[in-house]
Amino acid sequence: MSAGAISNNIRRLRFEHGEMTQQALAERIGVTRQTVNAIELGKYSPSLEVAFRIAGAFARPLDDVFRYREPGDGA
Amino acid sequence: MSFREKSAWITFIALLAFGIYFGEIAQHLLDGAAPRVSYFPLFLGLVAALVVLEVVMHIAIAMRSPQDARTPRDERERALAQRATVRAYYVLLVGAFAAIGTMHLGANAWLLAHAALFAVWIAELTRYASLLYDYRQGAKA
Repeated sequence: MSAGAISNNIRRLRFEHGEMTQQALAERIGVTRQTVNAIELGKYSPSLEVAFRIAGAFARPLDDVFRYREPGDGA
Repeated sequence: MSFREKSAWITFIALLAFGIYFGEIAQHLLDGAAPRVSYFPLFLGLVAALVVLEVVMHIAIAMRSPQDARTPRDERERALAQRATVRAYYVLLVGAFAAIGTMHLGANAWLLAHAALFAVWIAELTRYASLLYDYRQGAKA
């Protein structure tokens, strides 16, 4: 459940999509607003299915939304 | 605060209130009195009162946020619930062995039953405390 190595651009993408609210995104992908908030803050790593749904909501490929940094990779 | 977090708080507080029963039992044992069955009305009364309290409070919070209440648990909420159950399981396991231990210390059926009930109560408190802790950690909205 730890999400330390995974970062995301959800907040920026929401802004670029007409300042979409967390609630609106949550309803589109079928999770609660609290879960969208936890994902956005990097406190929870979603399942692959939810990650694809988020990317789909923004019509972007998955790696435009999420990035994974290998442990020990300073970059 | 989400509907489910409010719901967990209600259950946690109701469980804490059940501590009244164990407080009475502890007082009884500390007084050195022999176990008796007259605690059964207190037990039944508390269970009935707490069930009513839970139902009324859940209806109240569901009326305040009906959409939230209708939304099924998502994957994160299921994961948190699962983690809380695992933590509570270990507490229950220790409590069950401790309850068995009381038998070897000369406890009768009444005491053994209460030791087992106490273990279940502590495990449930652990489950809801864990859930609330994780909700707070993962939902600072």
